[in-house]
Amino acid sequence: MSAVEEALARIAAHDGQVNAFTDVLAERARRAPAKGPLAGMPFAAKNLFDIAGIPTRAGSKIRRTAPPATADATLVARLEAAGAVCVGALNMDEFAYGFTTENSHDGPCRNPHDLTRIAGGSSGGSAACVAAGMVPASLGTDTNGSIRVPASLCGVWGLKPTYGRLPRTGATLFVAALDHVGPFARDVGTLAAVYDVLQGPDAADPAQIDMPVDLVAAGMNGGLSDLRIATLGGWFDGPQTRAARNAVAAVGRVLNARATVEWAEAEAVRAAAFLITSSEGAGFRLPELRTRLEEFEPLTQDRLLAGALLPAAWIFHAQRVRAMAQASMAALLADWDILIAPATPTPATPIGQDMLTMEGVTMPLRPSMGLYTQPISAIGLPVLTVPLQNAENGLPIGVQLIGRPWGEAALFRAARVLEQAGLCAAAVAPAFAASDAPAFAASGAPAFAR
Amino acid sequence: MAWQCLYMIDPEAFDPAAHVAAVAPAVGLRLSPERQARVAAALALVVRVAAPALAFPVPEGAEPAARFRP
Repeated sequence: MSAVEEALARIAAHDGQVNAFTDVLAERARRAPAKGPLAGMPFAAKNLFDIAGIPTRAGSKIRRTAPPATADATLVARLEAAGAVCVGALNMDEFAYGFTTENSHDGPCRNPHDLTRIAGGSSGGSAACVAAGMVPASLGTDTNGSIRVPASLCGVWGLKPTYGRLPRTGATLFVAALDHVGPFARDVGTLAAVYDVLQGPDAADPAQIDMPVDLVAAGMNGGLSDLRIATLGGWFDGPQTRAARNAVAAVGRVLNARATVEWAEAEAVRAAAFLITSSEGAGFRLPELRTRLEEFEPLTQDRLLAGALLPAAWIFHAQRVRAMAQASMAALLADWDILIAPATPTPATPIGQDMLTMEGVTMPLRPSMGLYTQPISAIGLPVLTVPLQNAENGLPIGVQLIGRPWGEAALFRAARVLEQAGLCAAAVAPAFAASDAPAFAASGAPAFAR
Repeated sequence: MAWQCLYMIDPEAFDPAAHVAAVAPAVGLRLSPERQARVAAALALVVRVAAPALAFPVPEGAEPAARFRP
């Protein structure tokens, strides 16, 4: 059986439990030519990426009656041009506004490691479908942590590249000033192979920055010899579970990170990102908030309305704070190639939980999942989230490897060291790791030939 | 370079309910009193989380545009 047929069979068998998929595109997948470096590799895309033939709903009810997309998003098209096969679209928080994928319209996406718990968000389906062994790779987006949070909670590898590295053409934007696109995968080799074919200029995306393609797969076995790696303290040493602390420490040991450094502006720039997100995210939706409010996700209606009312002077100030934080981090990164930080403060929490208490501090759960991701995406740095299994009660957790702008290649080298050391891995979640689970690519170069 | 150390907001003086009541109609949002109360609570949360940014001093010349390429 081909990898595509195996994926379709596993989606049919298991997605009723996980609810990662909003659309399964079996007919399209079976028609795909599948020639190229990723020949026959099944993948799926968060349903805010245009996929020709189906409406791009972005997790919303409002877009349910939208006409089908007439062309594929650039990243979907690039993967298929390399031989990968799109098998479906994936569950997400409505319009990417959330960290939990508790989508009231499509139902919550469930974590394959514990079906009573969240998959993380907003790209929850993108992480869960990989963790459940349905596909070896997927596409998601990250504005404040929406690749890194679900990668952490579902225990898979996720890459949020430098802001402007990959084109967003054909993706529904949430907060244009902060939106990134990127891949998930179950091993470093597949993540690298996918990332390499996603790169390249796209004149249709005004936010893409004109940088040369920097392929990472060939050099990912380069080791750590010339890399200076430290752990981020200060804000990133704030409230978190023992599992999160242990994961950061374990990654630091393998990567020989002996120093702990602080970035004084982290808290302020996280707050700035929160403001920019609230305002811009609501601004995009203001016409529909006026006329179709009750059709929005109940969890976000009031937050969107509040965002629509924020004073412009606050947003202007927040952008300037962001510039200050970017400058201070640039100074810090003059001495370091990679910084280590928690991806989420906790492993996956139960679906429906509202509050989170850690180390004596109680906070609203949904915004707090991004405590440690939000400051980094606010200034556009590349991050590779690495998964550690069995961090707490059988649940995984992720750690952020944060690089210099355009420094993705160094992150892949460090991730490969962690994978080869046996500390980080993203095997199929135990409940879905039955004998029918496809091996897909175990490591190194993918091989998906039919 | 001059620094703008003025706080963007006084968290003690800011009244989310009054702000929602005044601004929502101005941007075309007609909200019931019950909805206004819930939005005021959401706004209060935004202000609480945003406080470290709003209190952060920036130099006058700090660039607000993350990227501008004419």
